[in-house]
Amino acid sequence: MLQYVTLSIDGAQVKAVKGSSVLDVAVEYGICIPHLCHFPSLSDFGACRLCIVELVRNGRAKVTTSCTLLVQDDMVVRTNTEKIRKLRRNIAELLVAQAPNSRAIQDIAVRCGVREVRYPFRNENCVLCGRCVRLCTEMWSARAIGFVGRGKARHVDFPFGVRPDFCKRCQACVQHCPMTITPCDGPMERGEERLCGKCESQLQVTEKIPDACVLCDLGQGFNCARHG
Amino acid sequence: MSTTSLEAVVRGRRSQPQQLIEALQDVQELFGYVPQESMITLSKELGVPLIEVYRVASFYKAFSLQPRGKHLLTVCMGTACHVRGAGRLADQVTGQLGVAPGDTTSDGLFTVECVNCLGACALGPVVVLDGVYHDQMTPRKLRKLIESVRTPEVKDTANGEACHD
Amino acid sequence: MAKLATIEDLANLQGSLAAERERDGTTVIVCGGPGCHASGCCAVADALREQLHKEGLTETVRVRVTGCHGFCEQGPIILIEPGSIFYCHVEPADVAEIVSSTICGGELVERLLYMEPASGSRVRTESEVPFYRLQDRTLLALHPKIDSSSITDYIAVGGYSTLAKVLRDCSPEEVIREIAGSGLRGRGGGGFPTGRKWASCRAAPGDEKYVICNADEGDPGAYMDRSLLEGNPHLVVEGMLIGAWAIGAEQGYIYVRNEYPLAVEHARTAVEQARELGLLGENILGSDLCFDVEVARGGGAFVCGESTALMASLEGKVGEPRPKDVHTVEEGLWNKPSTLNNVETWANVPLIMQHGAAWFSQRGTKGSKGTKIFALTGRIKNTGLVEVEMGTTLRTIIHDIGGGGRDGATIKAVQTGGPSGGCLPAGKFDLPVDFDTLAQAGSMVGSGGMVVMDESTCMVDVARYFLKFLQDESCGKCVPCRIGIDRMLEIVTDITEGRGRPEQLDLLQELGETMRETSLCALGKTAANPVLSTLHYFREEYEAHIAGGRCPAGVCRALIEYVIDEEKCTGCGACARACPWDAIEGEEKKTHAINAEACRRCGICAAECAFNALLVR
Repeated sequence: MLQYVTLSIDGAQVKAVKGSSVLDVAVEYGICIPHLCHFPSLSDFGACRLCIVELVRNGRAKVTTSCTLLVQDDMVVRTNTEKIRKLRRNIAELLVAQAPNSRAIQDIAVRCGVREVRYPFRNENCVLCGRCVRLCTEMWSARAIGFVGRGKARHVDFPFGVRPDFCKRCQACVQHCPMTITPCDGPMERGEERLCGKCESQLQVTEKIPDACVLCDLGQGFNCARHG
Repeated sequence: MSTTSLEAVVRGRRSQPQQLIEALQDVQELFGYVPQESMITLSKELGVPLIEVYRVASFYKAFSLQPRGKHLLTVCMGTACHVRGAGRLADQVTGQLGVAPGDTTSDGLFTVECVNCLGACALGPVVVLDGVYHDQMTPRKLRKLIESVRTPEVKDTANGEACHD
Repeated sequence: MAKLATIEDLANLQGSLAAERERDGTTVIVCGGPGCHASGCCAVADALREQLHKEGLTETVRVRVTGCHGFCEQGPIILIEPGSIFYCHVEPADVAEIVSSTICGGELVERLLYMEPASGSRVRTESEVPFYRLQDRTLLALHPKIDSSSITDYIAVGGYSTLAKVLRDCSPEEVIREIAGSGLRGRGGGGFPTGRKWASCRAAPGDEKYVICNADEGDPGAYMDRSLLEGNPHLVVEGMLIGAWAIGAEQGYIYVRNEYPLAVEHARTAVEQARELGLLGENILGSDLCFDVEVARGGGAFVCGESTALMASLEGKVGEPRPKDVHTVEEGLWNKPSTLNNVETWANVPLIMQHGAAWFSQRGTKGSKGTKIFALTGRIKNTGLVEVEMGTTLRTIIHDIGGGGRDGATIKAVQTGGPSGGCLPAGKFDLPVDFDTLAQAGSMVGSGGMVVMDESTCMVDVARYFLKFLQDESCGKCVPCRIGIDRMLEIVTDITEGRGRPEQLDLLQELGETMRETSLCALGKTAANPVLSTLHYFREEYEAHIAGGRCPAGVCRALIEYVIDEEKCTGCGACARACPWDAIEGEEKKTHAINAEACRRCGICAAECAFNALLVR
């Protein structure tokens, strides 16, 4: 027996199933909240911080991730204030400076309004979104990979760094990795990393970035939940 | 790997995943580090996925995945020690032993670590050698302390001369 | 000793122990706090016992090793009762004279008395020592009375009688009201009203609840919790018992950081002793309260001081914080309602219940009641643990109690709140120590660490130091913290190495604000504070590095060089021998020279030179 709650997202009254996250509900209603580590039917752990929204309570607005925020009656959420856009843009800037060599990350950066990158580019091959780990743990129950180490040394690895025999070789980890989604024109040369203008997704047609989802091509880049 | 000693670690903890950290601490104390085989045993006995055991062992500073040297030299790099010159102690130890913090000397004698605060802040800078605290250290005192541990035949290779004074 | 089955049993035991104590002759109290421990108090205590045994005095003279007395700079410290004779810098070699002159002969050993630096005169008793006079040592004054490994000492001075009173006379709701009325705010850094936390936890649905003591004191420079837990563990246990009664918990945990083995030992001993007497377990003192405590060790992670990370660690997992959209008082350890409080917070609980909320709230300011223990360290004369009434100014603490700068240096700043806090300049020293005031000024009271800095400290280097610390300790899960700290460190390192650009200061500000708003946990949210506060108050130091390529304090290695002053150099060779990098050359009795390429600018040579012949440029 499903229970429903009513909440307000960007002024719109929406009805949602109790127990779902604000992000899930927003996306379902066509309100596009950029996200990276969220993946349908996997647990949410709020790592990328892109899906931040403002939760308004007692006249004060708290910034929190919509993927971990469960809907409640009379909740008031704002997904697209100037403050949120600026914060999201800064987070996306950090991400793209780490890993410009990924179409998905480039798309996210553009979608979040990044126009210049103020940090020296690095060429990491993992942004620690955790999709692979959660797929392996939750969907395939193989537990062949996990997060290892702490802080800057945090990375995804097999136990002891060696692929175990209980790895099912299902390739789920590779298929859903934002880093392996078709890179634009192939790998960038070291030292020439940049926010390239070649991604199809760059909205040169209009400077205005849509607030509501128009099932844009951007959706493919970061495997937006709406595209499934 | 002594199965009897691992048995002592595992006893009373079977099928109790929440005991993982305490168990790893016992392993660390027993062997001076956390060998792979011990992680496999803990995974099986405590009922924790192997990747999780590896994850916990790699997350916490208390656990070393590599064997340690005979003597553990810890330099405190807390704020109070830092403003009192802990950086120079780190220089002294790095230069004299030729290893970076976290590493072990090639002769297996010393493992050097820099930790973030030992709680003896009023008397910094502090160095701990094999569990013994040395307070208000200076580079000179540290140099002598390290020399006192070294066997007489082994010369101080960094300076190339047996130190007098 | 038999189990205490009723409140009367406890009262009787207390009575007989107190009477026994009255009969005590001379007691030599040896401070066993962290500072004195590091400066050799154990050897002093051993020497004392040996000497007393030799003189046949073990029956008449008691030796009591206690928790921290506070004046760590002067350790090892001995107090002789009756008379409160205060001896400092005691060494094992002094023991024989102490026993013969003072204990047997009733005469003072002058050279061991504390000397007031201003007048040069020696003081006799502890109360005359200026360091103590301006303090309000509500918690710390208990230490000299109690042997830190003895439950009988604790009971003799009235320990656990507050618990008895609470169990007999107060309902859980009344306890919560009293704690709320006192105005006690969390002493671990968060400053959250304790009464409100307890009320929420009590109200949370569920039968299984937990109380947790956070002894993961990770702020570098802070050792208040270590001292309390090592020195008076039963006070903490009694606090937790009262909390368990108020909240409805049956199980408690004391989570001690791995780097404090002695605190772990003392806590475990205390818990075992309490169990033996029936003060932990079923139907405590004949009441309905069933409660036990487990002492757990951390694994070496600063982030485990964060409440959700600590609870994850208790569950045997990695200490990664989780989002706090639902608070831990509702879903905490094992997803059950949990009350987590800091050591010092728990320590205040029995005293508040004993003397009443008004007694506590009488002291302090409007928003911050009671007293707070600070660890005063760094470039200051009198380092140690200082307990003052909330609202005392920084100036009083640093200059009047702390004695001002070391070696005549001018104090430039004070860092409070650890890596989550900030630096306040000397111009702000008239600010009162108060949760809200310091937060508004860009710093925070934090857990109580107070590191004093003088002109030899480079504030940009301090920012870099804290960023390095946080980079090491970040769990790495979320982007703004993991990548944000890394990028901040990259920029600040650039600045300390002369590659800074003016626009980077604005970028630091914007990045800092992003980290503060979007990080998952308090570590990330406050990680930018050291940078933002030093940028705010010491911008000129940043600008000197950027515009002039200069480090005013002479610290940043890429911007300084060491040169030997030919006129002062005597050719003694001490610097060359001391240099770990072999960067100094010279013949005996002839002027030495530094090889600039090999020189790492560590400054060890300058510290060795007796003739001040090493210059920094």
